[in-house]
Amino acid sequence: MFPDLRRDVVFPIAGSVILFTLVVASGLVYQSQFGGVGERLITMALIDAIIVLGMQVFIGNTGILSFGHIGFGAIAGYAFAVSAISPVEKMKRIPDAPFGLTDVNVDPLLAVLIALAATLVVALVVGLGLARSGAESGAVSATVITLALLFVTHEVARNWPAVTGGDRAGLSFRIGGTLNGRVAIYVALFLAILVARLYAQSRGGRLAVAAREDDLAARAMGVNPLVQQMVALLISVAIVSVGASLRVYEKGSILPGDFFFNLTLVTLVMLIVGGRRSVSGALLGVAVITAGRELARRLGQDGFEMFGVGLDGAPLDWIFRENLKTVFLGVSMLGFMIWRPSGLLDDWELDEWLHAKFRRSRESPPASPQVVEPDDSASLVASGVDVAFGGFQALTGVGIEAARSEVVGIIGPNGAGKTTLLNVITGLVESDSGRISLGDTDLTTAPSFKIARSGLVRTFQNLRLFASLTVRENVEVSYLVAASHRRHRSPCDVDGLIAAAGLWAHRDRRARELDYGTSRRLELARAAATAPAFLLLDEPTSGMSDSESLQMIEQVRQMAGLVGAGVVVIDHDLNFIIGICDRIYCLDCGQVIAHGTPEEIQADPVVQAAYIGSTAEG
Amino acid sequence: MLEVSGLTTKYGEISALREASLHVGSGEVVGLIGPNGAGKTTLLNSIAGLLTPSGGRVTFDGEDITGMPPEKLLRSGLALVPEHRRIFVDLTVEENLRIGGVTVPSADRPALLDEMGERFPMLRDKWTTSAGYLSGGEAQQLAIARALMSRPRLLMMDEPSLGLAPLLVDVVFDLIEALRSQGRTLLVVEQNATRMLDLADRAYVLRSGEVVAEGTGAELRDNEDLFDTFVGN
Amino acid sequence: MTELLQNLIDGLGRGSIYALLALGVAVVFGVMHLLNFAHGELITVSGYATFWAMAAGWSWYLTVPLIVVVSVATSLAIERVAFSRVRGADDFTLLLTSFGVHFVVSAIFLLYVSASVKTFPRPGWVTNTYALGSLRVEVFDTVVIGVTVVTLLATTLLLQRTMFGLALRAAAADFDTARLMGVRSNSVIRGAFALSGLLAGIASVFWLMRAGSISPSAGINPMLKGVLAALVGGLGSLRGAVLGGLALGLAEVLLRSRLPDSVASLTEGVVFLLIALLFIFRPQGIVTVTHAERV
Repeated sequence: MFPDLRRDVVFPIAGSVILFTLVVASGLVYQSQFGGVGERLITMALIDAIIVLGMQVFIGNTGILSFGHIGFGAIAGYAFAVSAISPVEKMKRIPDAPFGLTDVNVDPLLAVLIALAATLVVALVVGLGLARSGAESGAVSATVITLALLFVTHEVARNWPAVTGGDRAGLSFRIGGTLNGRVAIYVALFLAILVARLYAQSRGGRLAVAAREDDLAARAMGVNPLVQQMVALLISVAIVSVGASLRVYEKGSILPGDFFFNLTLVTLVMLIVGGRRSVSGALLGVAVITAGRELARRLGQDGFEMFGVGLDGAPLDWIFRENLKTVFLGVSMLGFMIWRPSGLLDDWELDEWLHAKFRRSRESPPASPQVVEPDDSASLVASGVDVAFGGFQALTGVGIEAARSEVVGIIGPNGAGKTTLLNVITGLVESDSGRISLGDTDLTTAPSFKIARSGLVRTFQNLRLFASLTVRENVEVSYLVAASHRRHRSPCDVDGLIAAAGLWAHRDRRARELDYGTSRRLELARAAATAPAFLLLDEPTSGMSDSESLQMIEQVRQMAGLVGAGVVVIDHDLNFIIGICDRIYCLDCGQVIAHGTPEEIQADPVVQAAYIGSTAEG
Repeated sequence: MLEVSGLTTKYGEISALREASLHVGSGEVVGLIGPNGAGKTTLLNSIAGLLTPSGGRVTFDGEDITGMPPEKLLRSGLALVPEHRRIFVDLTVEENLRIGGVTVPSADRPALLDEMGERFPMLRDKWTTSAGYLSGGEAQQLAIARALMSRPRLLMMDEPSLGLAPLLVDVVFDLIEALRSQGRTLLVVEQNATRMLDLADRAYVLRSGEVVAEGTGAELRDNEDLFDTFVGN
Repeated sequence: MTELLQNLIDGLGRGSIYALLALGVAVVFGVMHLLNFAHGELITVSGYATFWAMAAGWSWYLTVPLIVVVSVATSLAIERVAFSRVRGADDFTLLLTSFGVHFVVSAIFLLYVSASVKTFPRPGWVTNTYALGSLRVEVFDTVVIGVTVVTLLATTLLLQRTMFGLALRAAAADFDTARLMGVRSNSVIRGAFALSGLLAGIASVFWLMRAGSISPSAGINPMLKGVLAALVGGLGSLRGAVLGGLALGLAEVLLRSRLPDSVASLTEGVVFLLIALLFIFRPQGIVTVTHAERV
């Protein structure tokens, strides 16, 4: 669940307490200066913070822009209002409500829970839709679905007066009960911070972030992004619905316009200004935008007189007008998108910073982990693979076999179909015919993340690391997958593997800061950490110098040996291939043209002709 | 004509090209050979403005064109037939050619289209067909014809024989031969080293992002080390 | 049968306007991969221009060209001020930039005009109808459909027969290669915004004639219709965008007349729901555009 208790549980809890204290304290200071008006402002800002934190859980961790969270807020708000308003009030406002809603009489606290449950049900359905469309056509259409959700809820709220009181009257009410002012808000806010932080550090959060960083690589490591996005959505919507209920409770009324474009704008601006990838950032954004909006509102009202500066007929009257705050919000969003799209804090997190500060003295690298002996039972077999792209026949009847104890190479000129073959084996490209199996398991039609969980794990020709995660976090993604999907294998020791890969000194650096050779080693270590049956390597030496390539031989052997995996490797560097392989297949024009030991392949005239070109007809 | 000195290009931290230098004289056919991943495509793309080099200098007819955007380079007479051909599959053959001639005065375009039709009779037969229906060899001819539409003074080709069956490889090399006999200036990246060396006036060998050898086709063909570069030892 | 025909004509009238909006969205998406949530602001801006022109005593004959010019100019100005700065950014940034533009433009009118709805006279013939057999056809719908057909034909000619159209299609298919051929990225992107503004301008004329009013948030509805229609049709496909617009208009009219009275007011909601369902079962839209991805 959590790879490192100290880093992922203890520090986040402590960090949440500090963040919460900071937020509450600054709110109290502000309202002591400004009295009743200030108190109201802070109350609403605290509630905004809960909603923004909820949005952060989804948008920040999955990277999918959602306009729909305020739509979920509307559902929660109405569910709360309809449950919490006393039957007497309801008889006055919505006497025709269906399903006997008029008679419902519950405690506000219970009403919050009802709102939460109702919203989660809708979120589940919407999430299934997002999953289907996102899987096919990416983030843009997912975003539009969330936008459609916002409009559907708005339209329903406006046009279903039997329940919502309609566009003008809405629902307004007086509630007495156990939900008591600030205390409830404070409790909800603290829980929201805590849940958001703990989720981000948990298995689910980490896998969602991996998919955000590189969807394809995450799948190839055995992550199913759709499941993780759904989990993020549900947690996120739960937090938003609590915030929305509190908002309705505090305002004492709800109108369709309350949960529509304006609130969407305000909360999104808060999130992106602070930094959508960070909980600390979300809170900072709430503070900055609340302050900025209030300043803009006052300036719009009074101009500089609010500072006691009497500038009569001030030259800035053309800008200090009513509604300046809306311009402020729009300009903030636009400005940050153009000049600082990742927000003020990017993905900086208070507790991570503290953890880095207070780490015990540099630990020495751990000893190499235990070597796992390969069992020879399961071998990888691809047979009769045909693939055509449009009219282009990329592979024709290709078959290869590899046993767990050996290193098998695939060579061939550029465009011969080597990577396509690897893509077919790992489920990224669908074959027209042919069969892929590992031992007794048929993997021909399995999706890529299932293939990875079955034990076929690949690397990519153009590095696909999780760029903004650290070296250790990159490896942990694989570890987390292996821990739940490859239980029959002993889980790898993350630190030991990092040390063995020569990455110990870099373990806390982000993947995008690594040099090329180190990135390659990390990609190999990340693949090995899934405890695979086979490592499938796509051009591991591409872009390396001769000496680096030769070192790579050792590296690959060591990693594969540690986790007891067989190796299938594509490369164009024949020195490397001949140095590492037990057997080699040579592909040309989508067909296997030769197969044998390195010596046989090197001596084969057909291979020579295909590889370096020949004046004679191939 | 084209002078490249000390060109370095990085992808993030990775130097895909390290201080590469070469020159192409007017009317010359120059080959650029080397194993996959050696940086040949990076070199062409850096010259053509698709990639921004982090160091070095490219001049064309004495004019500094380092980091110039491709649409501007084309107007000074430098055209690239990109790797994987990259023809517009949704456009017809004719439309592909017209796009190639976007920079020439519209009055000259019909004559150029006719010229391409004559030189590539096979394209003439499929004038109004979507380019997506062309075979690999036809698509490669279209890609070359499309580049010729801009009347380039220097034509760069990136792996014109890539993914083609042997018979079609012949067609492409015949085409290069024909262009050469018209006195065109060509800079050609090829993996098919032997055939390229037969054809080229001079060639450069790239390995791991560096130029490791240079010479006439004949000199390089007889070089024992070269064979090792490709096949290993 | 008569009723169905009547729905068909009404739906085509409505759908034509959506088609023009959707085509504008699709043209910009093609060259920049930008789903323009600010597209409706072209109607907001030209709506205020109409309000002021009418207040100054202009006739509709003069106002119509004004609307089109203002729409094109606004489209180009928005590109210059905002979108040119985020070219090539990720989807998240592009989407929120256009969302930000939407808010800034409407906020400016909120700041300098007012939040209240401004009205202007509609042309007298907007509500006229004539009999066609047993059908009652609006003069307005007839004009809309006619003008849209002409506009779409002209746009098709522009895209098929001119060098600019060819460059636009090539850039939409493969921007880098188009540049290699000498297509100037600035001109093709600005051209796309100008075309998008022109199409929105024509749609805007009809939208404003029928509405007879304008407010700072008036752009939301047409934006949504344009964006959804473009998505329904399959993003990136111009033909799909037109089909998507027509389908959306027809769906609205059909639902409104067929749904039982108690839920008829929820038509818009039901349409959004149907679109969401369409995405779930056919996420790529009506017309599929395939792009190869190299791994």
